[in-house]
Amino acid sequence: MPTLTIDNQTVTVPDGTNVLEAAQQLGIVIPHFCYHEALGAVGSCRLCAMKFEQGPVKGIEMACMVQAQDGMVVSTVDAEAQELRAAVIEWLMLNHPHDCPVCDEGGECQLQDMTIAGGHGIRRYRGKKRTWINQDLGPFIEQEMNRCIQCYRCVRTYRDYCGGDDFGVMGSRNRVFFGRFKEGKLESPFSGNLADVCPTGVFTDKTCRFRSRSWDLQEAASICPHCSLGCSVIPGARYRELQRVRSGINRQTNGFFICDRGRFGYGHVNHPERPRTPKLQGADAAWPEALQLARRRLTDIAAKVGPEAIALLGSPRASLESLALLHDWAKQLGGARFCGDPQPGRDRAARQLTALLGSRARSLEDVRRSDCLLLVGSDPLNEAPLLGLAVRQAARRGARVIVIDPRPVELPCNFQRLSTGPEELPQRLEHLVSTTEPTDDLSTLRTLLHQAERPILCGGGDLLGEVGIRQLAAAADHFGTGLFVTLGGPNSYGAALLSGDGPDADQLCEEMLAGKIRALVCLENDPLADGPQRMARALGKLEFLLILDHAPNRLSRQADVFLPTTTVAEGSGTLVNNEGRMLSFSTVFNPGIPLGISSEGGHPPRSFSPTTAGGEPRPAWAVLAQLRGENQSPEMIRRKLEGRDSRFAGLSLLDPDGEGQRVRGGGHPAGSHDQSFPHPAPEGSLPLLVVEQLFGSEQLASLSPALDAVQPDPQVLLHPETAAARGLKEGDTIALHTELETFSLQLKLNAAMTPGLLLATRLRDTPLELFAPGSPTPCLVGKGGGDA
Amino acid sequence: MNELLPQPEHDHFRAKAAASEHPRELIIDLLRAIQEHHGWVPDEGVELTAEILGLSPLQVEEIATFYDKIFRRPVGRKVIHYCDSICCWATGGEQVAAHLQQKLGIGPGETTADGAFTLLPSCCLGACGDAPAMMIELKLYGRLTPEKIDAALEKEKD
Repeated sequence: MPTLTIDNQTVTVPDGTNVLEAAQQLGIVIPHFCYHEALGAVGSCRLCAMKFEQGPVKGIEMACMVQAQDGMVVSTVDAEAQELRAAVIEWLMLNHPHDCPVCDEGGECQLQDMTIAGGHGIRRYRGKKRTWINQDLGPFIEQEMNRCIQCYRCVRTYRDYCGGDDFGVMGSRNRVFFGRFKEGKLESPFSGNLADVCPTGVFTDKTCRFRSRSWDLQEAASICPHCSLGCSVIPGARYRELQRVRSGINRQTNGFFICDRGRFGYGHVNHPERPRTPKLQGADAAWPEALQLARRRLTDIAAKVGPEAIALLGSPRASLESLALLHDWAKQLGGARFCGDPQPGRDRAARQLTALLGSRARSLEDVRRSDCLLLVGSDPLNEAPLLGLAVRQAARRGARVIVIDPRPVELPCNFQRLSTGPEELPQRLEHLVSTTEPTDDLSTLRTLLHQAERPILCGGGDLLGEVGIRQLAAAADHFGTGLFVTLGGPNSYGAALLSGDGPDADQLCEEMLAGKIRALVCLENDPLADGPQRMARALGKLEFLLILDHAPNRLSRQADVFLPTTTVAEGSGTLVNNEGRMLSFSTVFNPGIPLGISSEGGHPPRSFSPTTAGGEPRPAWAVLAQLRGENQSPEMIRRKLEGRDSRFAGLSLLDPDGEGQRVRGGGHPAGSHDQSFPHPAPEGSLPLLVVEQLFGSEQLASLSPALDAVQPDPQVLLHPETAAARGLKEGDTIALHTELETFSLQLKLNAAMTPGLLLATRLRDTPLELFAPGSPTPCLVGKGGGDA
Repeated sequence: MNELLPQPEHDHFRAKAAASEHPRELIIDLLRAIQEHHGWVPDEGVELTAEILGLSPLQVEEIATFYDKIFRRPVGRKVIHYCDSICCWATGGEQVAAHLQQKLGIGPGETTADGAFTLLPSCCLGACGDAPAMMIELKLYGRLTPEKIDAALEKEKD
C-alpha cells in the first residue's frame, strides 16, 4: 500500500495502482483518452503527463504508465506538464472537424471536456484536414471517421475485450482508419459498446441518431430486463419515447459493457401496439370501472368457491415489489394459488437453484477472475451474452474453459468442447463426480477442477433443468467450486424465492382443467406464449381472467379485464438476478404515447388536456395495491417484505447506483413433480431441442424494431452425419412432426453439434415459440412440406 | 498476372500455416508472394491470405495497409521509390523528385500512361551513404544526378 503525494495531498492506494488512478481517488482529474478502467493503460494518447518531483521516478511522465510508489511527490499543475498537455491536445485536435453542432456526441463528448481541461481553447492550425469516406457498419453503429483522434479505445474494446475480429485499425501514421475490411454489419454481439467507449463522435448509436441532445434526455440508473444477469444500464428518454440505452457501471455484474440485445432491445417500450388503456373483454374502459369489476369478480369467486379457486401467476419480468404484493395477496385472499413463473421448466430450475446456491454463489466479476470455468448446458452468447464476455476475460488471464453442451456453442475465446446429448447432461455430471472411471474423457477435467484455485461451474437453467442443477450443485460441492447458473428472466430468482414449494404452472393448468381453479390473474406474462402447452385449453375453462401487462399480449382482447402496466424504464423497483443479487432500478420517464407516434412526425398536437395521451399504464405494484384496496408505495412494500421475510433484509436501503446486495438465505425446490405419462418416442424420431438465441427469442427484445434487421431466419440444425443417414442435405425444407404441431423449416448442417439431435431456435411469432426452451421433444422428420 | 498465387505456392503456404503455431507471422510473406505474381494485392488477395492462414480479412488488411510496399492498388510494371528522408533531402532529394516527376510526367503516387512506372516517395531506403537515392523494383540507384536518373529510366524501361 504505497503512500504518495499528489498536488500536496497525500493518498494511500493499493499495490499496482497507477498514478492516474491515485490522482482520481483524490478527485484530481487529468485529461486522458487511452486509459479506461476496464481496458487498462497503454500510454498512447500522451495526455496524462504529470511532473514527478521527488521519489523513484523523476521528470515528466505519463501518469497512467507509472505505478504508484512510496515517497512519490507528483504535481499535475506544474507549468511544464501543463504546457505539454496543451500541446498534445492541440496535436490531437489538428484534424478534428468543427462539427460539434451536428454531432450526436455533443454534450457528452469526452474530447470536448478534455480539450478544454487540457488548456487548448483556440485553434491555430489552418491547414487542410484529412478526411475519410465512412463505412456502413450495419443497423447499430454510425461511423464518422473524420472526428477520430486515434485513441484506439474502439479496437481495444472490440478486439481485445470483446473478442471480435471483423473490426480493427488499418493504415499507419496520420492516416489510420478504424473500421471493417469491407462495409457491413459489425458481427460482434457487443458492437454497441463502441458508442460508449469512443470518447468523441466517431462511433455513435445509429438507432437514436439525430434524435436528441444528451442534456435533453431523461436518464436514470436502471437494470436491463432482457436476461437474468441484471446488467446495469442507463436508458434515455425524450418526448415520452425511450430513445437509447447505454451501459451503466456495476463492477460486480456487467462491469462497463452490455450486449447488443440489452442496448437495442428497448423498442418494446415505444411499441405502437402496446396496450395503454384498461380493457373489459377487449373494449376500452376506465380504470375505476375495470378495477372495481376485477375486484368484485375475484371476491365473488373466492366467496362462492373458495380462495383456492383463484390462481395468481407472476412472471420473471415482474419486479420483486409487484411479485411480493401478488404473493401476499394470495395469503390475504385466504389461500389463493401463487406461482411466480408461467414456464414450469424454468420455474422449477430457478427454485432448485435458489435452494442450492447458498455460499456457492458467484458474480460475473468472480467469473472474470476465475482460473477454470466449466460450462454445462450453457450457451452464453445466446442465453446471457455478458457471461460470454466474462468468460473471455477469464480466458485472457489464462483460465481454462471447458464446455459440455449438445449445441454448437461459440465463445469469444479458446475453449475445449465436450459434446453430449441434451438428456445426458445430468449423467455427464454424475460421471464427473464419480471416482470409479478414472480414464474416461472427463479425467483431465477432474484434474483441472481439483488443481484450480478459483474454479466456477457455469450452467444454463434451460438445458440443465431442475435435475441438472441439482447435479451441477453436487459437482460444485464435490470439487469445492463456485456456481453460476443463468435463468430465464431478469427476476426469475426473485419469483422462485417467493414461489417456494408452491404449485408450478403445470399444476395450475391441471387444476384449471379440472375446474378447481376458476379465476386466473396473470402479472406481466403471456401464458399462451410462455406457459405450459395445455394452457390454451385450460384458459377456456376459466370463469374469469385478469391480465396485467405492458407488452402486446395475446390475451389482452380475450381477458375479462386487462390492466396496462409500466415497463422497467417507467417505474422503480427491484429485480433479483441469477446469483440472487437484489438490484434496484429507478424511474427514467413517465409513460405516454411517444410524440413521434401521436403527432406522426409533425408538430405535437395543439389540443390541450389535463392528462397525458397514453399515460394510463400504472406500475404493476400500484395496480395490485389498488386491486387489494390499499394505498401503497414501493418503499412501503419493500419495508414490509424485508420485515416479514429476512431473506430480503437490506432491500429498502438499496441504491440504484450501487452494486446491489445478495439475498440472505435460499428458497425451496418445487414440490415433487408427478411425471405424467412420459410418451414413448415414436420409432425413427429424433429429439427436437428448441433453444434461445441472442436475437428473436427473448420476448421484449423481439418487439424492438431496431433488432428487426438482425432477426434470424427460422431454421433447424442437424449434424452432417445424421442428415446423411436420412438422406437430407443442407438447404432442404424438412417437415417436422411433433405432438404439438407440424411445421417445416429449412435445414442447416453443423458439424460442431451433437449427432442425433434436431436443434432449432425459439423464435417469437413462429411455431417454435410454443416449445419450452431446453427440453427436448420427440420429432419425426419428413421431406418437404409447407411454409414454416 | 491474373492468377493470384500459383498452385504450388498455394500448397506451400497452406502446409506452412498448418505447421506454424502463429500463422499470423506468414501474412507478409503471403502478401508479397501474391504481389509478386499479380503485381499488386487486390481484395481477393487479402481474402485468400486470410483464408489460408485462418484469420479474418480485416486482420490481414491491417498488415497490408500498414506497409507501404504492399500495394493495395494497381501499379505500373515497375515501381520507383525515391527517398524523401533527411540524408537524401540534404543532398538534393527534392531535385531528384522534381526531375523524376518532370521526366515521367506524373506526380507522386501516379502511374505513367503507358503503365511502365509508378512513382512513390519512400522514407529512407537505407542508402544514406549513397544519397540521394532511389530504388526501381529491388535495384538501388545512388548518388543520383539528372543524367544518372535518365540513364536508369532508359535502362529499366521494358
